[in-house]
Amino acid sequence: MSNNIVKWLDQLVADVEGVGYQRKSDRRIRMDVASDTLPTLLELLRGRGSYVHLSAISCVDWIEDDEFELVYHLWSYESNTLVSAHTRIPRSPGIYLSVFDLYHPAAFFERDIHEMFGLYFEGSPDMERFILTEWDGPPPMRKDFDAEAWVNRKFNFQDYHPDWLKELEEEGGGVAIRPDEVRAKKKAGDSKTDSSKIDRSGANKV
Amino acid sequence: MTEIKDIPVKVEADSGKDPVSDLGIKKRTNPLANVFDELIKFCRSRSLFMLHYCTGCGAIELPPAMTSRFDMERLGIQPMVTPRQADILLVTGYVSVKTLKRIILTYEQMSSPKYVVGICSCTVNGGMYWQSYATAKKLDEYMPVDLYIAGCMPRPEAVMEGLKKLMNDIKSGKASNWKDYYQNYDRYLGNQQHLFGDNWQTPSDVIGEANNYELAGPGTTGEHTARLEEYQRPLEPITSHFRIGETVKENDSTNNNNNDTNNNNDKKGGE
Repeated sequence: MSNNIVKWLDQLVADVEGVGYQRKSDRRIRMDVASDTLPTLLELLRGRGSYVHLSAISCVDWIEDDEFELVYHLWSYESNTLVSAHTRIPRSPGIYLSVFDLYHPAAFFERDIHEMFGLYFEGSPDMERFILTEWDGPPPMRKDFDAEAWVNRKFNFQDYHPDWLKELEEEGGGVAIRPDEVRAKKKAGDSKTDSSKIDRSGANKV
Repeated sequence: MTEIKDIPVKVEADSGKDPVSDLGIKKRTNPLANVFDELIKFCRSRSLFMLHYCTGCGAIELPPAMTSRFDMERLGIQPMVTPRQADILLVTGYVSVKTLKRIILTYEQMSSPKYVVGICSCTVNGGMYWQSYATAKKLDEYMPVDLYIAGCMPRPEAVMEGLKKLMNDIKSGKASNWKDYYQNYDRYLGNQQHLFGDNWQTPSDVIGEANNYELAGPGTTGEHTARLEEYQRPLEPITSHFRIGETVKENDSTNNNNNDTNNNNDKKGGE
């Protein structure tokens, strides 16, 4: 059964025009499609090819090409194969179709991508803030977002206080008793005096 | 004691009474009062309940510090599960903006005197997240920090050492940063509003607490606390509907629903 699906899908998808089909290994397939044919491909993979599990949608910002790349990772429990469906959409309107009707977990992934990259998914149930609930800047995962400049504008940094170190050094540094000193003391102390006395002096020192 | 004298006393202008005798606690005639104060400070430093707000990787160092290897409890420090009964708030690790909200809510729930210890470099200066857009850099901008334990991450020995220093500070009366939050609440609130927006609200009434502790000074209220009142939403009664019929009689739900709607209509009519 599973072998049949794999064979059938290999033949079918390889024959379809406009689908870049690469078998990376026994269990990985890469497909490159145009953005308008991707929903159809996903429908085919889900409905006929047993790829029922959408693991993740990842987004890459190719700022030099002025494009976003979306990668849909699909898993089939029948043929134990991972399909990565790649597509590229232009960066400037940044609007794409949601696949929520095919895969319900896509709602979370699309909401996340909308927050991090500013890409809007039409038909997704909820495009509200997801993780960055207090965010008031541009989408932070875009390549043109300068995190360092943002941080310098938004936050203050601690000044360097050398007097803090001086205070610590006067008290003998961070470590009050070095372990090797304790060991040496104990060795010397065992021959001379009671061990309990030395323990007490050590505790006082700390 | 010198500390209580230092606290500014709020006196009403038209009251003809002597402010010191009026409040009663300020005038110390009992020669044993100082002794009791010292005793209270000693006891306070020896029974500390610690709320560890484990935000980041520094939390890894706390289990060995608390359990049998280094045994924090021999110093009188014990973990506590609720903020209302805790004395120390231990912030271990990076503080994202979203987490900072929760830390401030936790801090304001604690009863005074309260102490904040920032563990790891991240609480000092952002640490390795200095470039991150989502991580707050200085914890002491948003709440008064008594002690920083630097390191990435500090070993349990360093944690113990820092807590011992805190104990000494409490015993000598040096650790009084919690008063700063009441005295300069406007500044802290301004920094919080800078991150969370102008409509940031906390459920606890800090200004009221400051008045209660008689710590309200010129820095307690200001432009930022005025914003607090501006964005305050009036309390609304929570409406809840219990439909007992649905759970008891599952067979004929249509009848129950009809009854419920009837009841609701009756109530509305009655009101």
